[in-house]
Amino acid sequence: MMSKKIKDEQKFTSDRRDFLKLAGIGVVASGATVATGSTQAEEVKGSGYSLTEHVKTYYELAKF
Amino acid sequence: MGMHADVIAAVSEEDRLRANVYRFLAQHLLRAPDQSALKKSVKIMGDDTELGEAFSAFAKLAANTNADQASEEYEALFIGLGRGELVPFASYYLTGFLNEKPLAKLRSRMRQLGIARTEGVAEPEDHVGSLMEIMAGLIMGEYGEPASVKDQFSFFDSYIAPWVRHFFSDLEGAKNSRLYQPVGTIGRLLMDIESTAFAME
Repeated sequence: MMSKKIKDEQKFTSDRRDFLKLAGIGVVASGATVATGSTQAEEVKGSGYSLTEHVKTYYELAKF
Repeated sequence: MGMHADVIAAVSEEDRLRANVYRFLAQHLLRAPDQSALKKSVKIMGDDTELGEAFSAFAKLAANTNADQASEEYEALFIGLGRGELVPFASYYLTGFLNEKPLAKLRSRMRQLGIARTEGVAEPEDHVGSLMEIMAGLIMGEYGEPASVKDQFSFFDSYIAPWVRHFFSDLEGAKNSRLYQPVGTIGRLLMDIESTAFAME
């Protein structure tokens, strides 16, 4: 049996999802090239912040 | 991708899309786009939402901008001669000075989350681009498990909500913003979308 609280939470979650979909956040995905796709994992590693014990890649940010 | 692919699969579609927008912002705020990034951005197709239109505007500008121009604009906005038009750090926006209490608070939170600055990164952690990147990482589970919406909200509410919308609004209106004008719009709209969506939880 599903409690009312859980049902309410699920409703909120689906409201939130519907809202996010309508808000246009899908647009980058349709372009699909800026931040998605197979290169993403590499880009993630190459960025400035990472899990402490996983710091493997040293990325040279543009020197200020 | 390896084992990270499993984690990515566990993140819902709309959360991945949110992370993409955060990542887009991080990539453009931490450094100017190079020629290959500009070339990719030309292919972005926005839908008819406000956010989509801002992405389309960015794509159009990217088609007419070369890497040198992008780099000059970036410097005028954020680096300048001694100081750029904007100072994209939480501490500066909240206190008027760099390296103040907001930075110390953020560092302490980052330690709790197990996030460290990669060696060789020079700028303080409260750079707006870093905060965008941390949000993307929390959503995608790059620092362990994907963060719950509640934990995402907690980070957003403490370190981003107090000033980042204001920053993006400044970026939209900055006199040196051309390619970065729609970046400001995209950021401002994302902040509004996030605030509204978090309030639904």
